[in-house]
Amino acid sequence: MNDIGEFALLVALATALYGCVSYIMAVRGNRIDLYLSADKTPVIVWVCVVISSAALWKGFITNDFSLQYVWAYSNKELDTFYKLASFWGGQKGSLLFWTLILTTYMCVVYFQNRKKNIRLMPYAMAVMFVIIIFFLCLLNFSTNPFERIPLPPEDGRGLNPLLQNYWMVIHPPTLYLGYVGFTVPFAFAMAALISKNLDDGWIRLTRKWTLLAWFFLCMGNLFGASWAYVELGWGGYWAWDPVENAAFMPLLVATAFLHSIQIQEKKDMMKVWNMSLVLLTFVMTIFGTFITRSGLIQSVHTFDEATLGYYFLAFLGVIIVICTVLIITRLPLLKSKNELDSLLSREASFLINNLLLLGIGFATFWGTIFPIISEAVRGVKITVGPPFYNQVNVPIGLALLALIGIGPVIAWRRATWANLRKNFQVPVIVGLVTAAVLFSIVPLTGRSEIFTYMTFILCAFVMACILREFLNGARARMGLEDGGNFVSELGTLTWRNKRRYGGYVVHIGMVLIFAGIAGSQSYSVHEQKHLKMGESFKLRDYTITYEKLTAVEATSVKTRVIAEVGVFKDSKRVWTGRPEKEFYKGQNQPVSEVDVLSTIVEDIYIILADFNEDESATLKVYLNPMVSWLWTGGWVIAFGTMICMWPDRLEQRRRLDRMKKQEAIFAPAQE
Amino acid sequence: MKNQNRLLTILLALVLVIGLAGNAQAAAVLADLENALMCKCDDKCGKVLLNCTCSTSDKTRAEFSKMLDSGLTVDQIIQMQVEKHGETILSSPSKSGFNLTAWAMPFVALLAGGFGLSKIVEAWKKKGAPEEQATEPEEDESIPSKYSSRIQEELDNIES
Repeated sequence: MNDIGEFALLVALATALYGCVSYIMAVRGNRIDLYLSADKTPVIVWVCVVISSAALWKGFITNDFSLQYVWAYSNKELDTFYKLASFWGGQKGSLLFWTLILTTYMCVVYFQNRKKNIRLMPYAMAVMFVIIIFFLCLLNFSTNPFERIPLPPEDGRGLNPLLQNYWMVIHPPTLYLGYVGFTVPFAFAMAALISKNLDDGWIRLTRKWTLLAWFFLCMGNLFGASWAYVELGWGGYWAWDPVENAAFMPLLVATAFLHSIQIQEKKDMMKVWNMSLVLLTFVMTIFGTFITRSGLIQSVHTFDEATLGYYFLAFLGVIIVICTVLIITRLPLLKSKNELDSLLSREASFLINNLLLLGIGFATFWGTIFPIISEAVRGVKITVGPPFYNQVNVPIGLALLALIGIGPVIAWRRATWANLRKNFQVPVIVGLVTAAVLFSIVPLTGRSEIFTYMTFILCAFVMACILREFLNGARARMGLEDGGNFVSELGTLTWRNKRRYGGYVVHIGMVLIFAGIAGSQSYSVHEQKHLKMGESFKLRDYTITYEKLTAVEATSVKTRVIAEVGVFKDSKRVWTGRPEKEFYKGQNQPVSEVDVLSTIVEDIYIILADFNEDESATLKVYLNPMVSWLWTGGWVIAFGTMICMWPDRLEQRRRLDRMKKQEAIFAPAQE
Repeated sequence: MKNQNRLLTILLALVLVIGLAGNAQAAAVLADLENALMCKCDDKCGKVLLNCTCSTSDKTRAEFSKMLDSGLTVDQIIQMQVEKHGETILSSPSKSGFNLTAWAMPFVALLAGGFGLSKIVEAWKKKGAPEEQATEPEEDESIPSKYSSRIQEELDNIES
């Protein structure tokens, strides 16, 4: 099976090369025979990559330690659940997994569009093939997952204990689905540039793909944060690690793109900008891969055998050069048909939104690469850690939060002061009332607390803006002749205009995330105590009592030491926490498994930091307020994105109506 | 146009002022010793000391605690750590010399972006300036609700 898997990769590469060349030659030479021939290659390449992936999975399931990769990331004792996930635990498998997702996406695109969009499809497929060829070259010639060990060992090294968590099965695939998903809009953008079909056709074709990739990347980041929270045992969820930053940057650029394409769709403006953003999003995904696989920047996420940096750097350079040349040569065709009427308009607020999103993106990028710059310029290695990102990104983030409220409410084209007064009166009052109420409740001694205070005020303002939109819309519908009750009209309103109101739901999710981050960052308290059995200590309103210590032989390679910790409030037991330390055979450091009681107000987060033979133990307990708001915000975003992406039969009709009306609506402004 | 440029300038200045206010209070952040220094464990965990849970970080905390008890100030301890381990021990770049560019560049880029944006908007406006200002009519409260609801519905369709 290993030979078949290895051979399938070679066949995939040869077929992809043929497919790429055939598509280009077919469209250049107007050769229908070549086009029909090329049209068979996406499925063949996908089948080959599936066979290869199945072969590697079989290696893991059957403990085939003749494969170096299986030996390095699995062992006989590993749960089947984790054996399946070990596939992407190392560099070689993760590259194959990337290729598997990419070829799957390509097949979906192929079946979606093969009988339409003939002008763009051959180029889009060729571009996707170029990217697939790059990955297949790496897999075949540089980092082959089917590399053998001449004398296979009895057992494997096993998966890193930190990776033996259920999130290992969820987080990396979600993140990859996001990363790889941006290849589709990139391919269509490149196709539009190459073929000079530069109307908003490529945007319409790929808007949902962009949204899908954005959704997965967003969820991937949140799942990663959740994993870090429960696994790494430091009470936090985001450490501004270079690889975390690498996943965060494309998300920011893609968010900017998703907003600015609305201006192109409605006003036929910002074509160059949108094109640049979609290309930059893809460049950022490759940059992220470069960071993970180069070992150039120190990160806890970097793969052990991070040796592919130069390949990715070269690939990145080639992409940037080609994109830049294409955009410059197509500039005359990317000219906007309409112009901006006023800075007091929704279009302008989207521009400022783009500026702030890219501002955070640039600050994150700058912080990530600054250690390299410092070493190159001064010869001194430095660290750029969380304090830098928090100080730089928080103020920009607050301005962005304000804009989440302002943008959707402000009128298109040109808002008047009367319009602003009408739309913002209530939200501003809500913000001011929140400010007054919180002023007497929350402490305002440090910089972090002041920023948190501002965040809460802005959250209230933004929520009021969004809820006002829902309220007004539902009320207006209730006034119709066939209008129903408020709840049903709220549903109808959202259903009839999924993009707009789905977007508002996503914004509500963002507000929850902002509030969760602010609350948990500023008001978290913790205490570390060494206790004998039965001893207690106080933390805010809680009494923490160390009650029991037990050792369990979980498997032949894993021993669990579990502490039982009683949490009391007003002498009543609230919860019994069971944090543990897991000892893996052959590993120097034990792994902490925290225990968390999560409520809407706060999380009680307990870590068993250490224990002694006399059964005394060191416990570290955090009270982290509002962390659950973060995860709830994530689910709200998921729900909102689902609404946005739900197939809409009315959408086509609306678009046609809008295109007909567009000239009439905007014509006066151009006269 | 002047008003609009002023609005953009105010917004960007607000961001800058908040940022600088944050930087001005950086001493408060540095006062938190554990937040100012990275953990130097053998595993190269890459965590700020405050967030690290490894055995090395516990030893380091105990060591710092003793140093503070002996009368050393936070700045002195940080300085000692920098002399011992190099600048890499600091969790963020110092705000002097070349490292200042790390702090300034994001805000400079933001200001430059804002300036560029205002110039582009200005050029757009000059190119496509309408003779007549398309102003939004004031809402007439006397419009019957059935018409306002229809308007709302049509606006929904336009804005979707």
